Amino acid sequence: MSSLSFQEKSAWGTLISLLVVGLLYASSLVNLWRADQLHIASTFGLMVGFTILLVLVLVGYHILVAAITGAQDEDERDRLIGWRAGKIGGLVLGFGVISIVGHIVLGGLVDDAFWQTPAVIANLLLLAVFVSTIVELSVTIWFHRRGV
Amino acid sequence: MPPGIANRVRELRQRGDGMTQQALADAVGVSRQTIIAIENGRYSPSLEVAIKIAEAFHQPVESVFWLAEP
Repeated sequence: MSSLSFQEKSAWGTLISLLVVGLLYASSLVNLWRADQLHIASTFGLMVGFTILLVLVLVGYHILVAAITGAQDEDERDRLIGWRAGKIGGLVLGFGVISIVGHIVLGGLVDDAFWQTPAVIANLLLLAVFVSTIVELSVTIWFHRRGV
Repeated sequence: MPPGIANRVRELRQRGDGMTQQALADAVGVSRQTIIAIENGRYSPSLEVAIKIAEAFHQPVESVFWLAEP
């Protein structure tokens, strides 16, 4: 029997999937930028495509894990870890969003057109969500391994 | 992050015929991984779970769990 709970397995799978898909997305974004095609329409298409990819990967992974090890209900430890990790992830997301707001305001002050484009701002917001989710998943795993 | 509560859950579980971690988990209503975390000092259960664990061993709760030395 595995020493990893379903929640921890879920966190590991989601973390690795996010990192891989995130890297692929970033790589595609850089290619768009190099081709001078980084605008909101192309960004939106990329976001939708990679979101669908991520959802398919995660659904497939969780079905596989549930089929092999059996689904488990959350117990009090899982809930406590979820709450604490979620709180930390929320703080990171809040910091990220406020930073982007500051960036928008300051960018307006220095009149830097590139950093004010909708495509760039949309991707910065997506980056904030990505980073906060990575942090939340990492903290979840840390709490499972080291204690809470 | 070790909790401030020590316990002798593993010692009590392995007495006599020995109870499996899964059996204790089922009796108490938590996962086997939570029992492992409790035994390894990586998690301090709630009062409800602590009482259920003590009752599973027919012991007073204060003989199963106590404040760890700082």
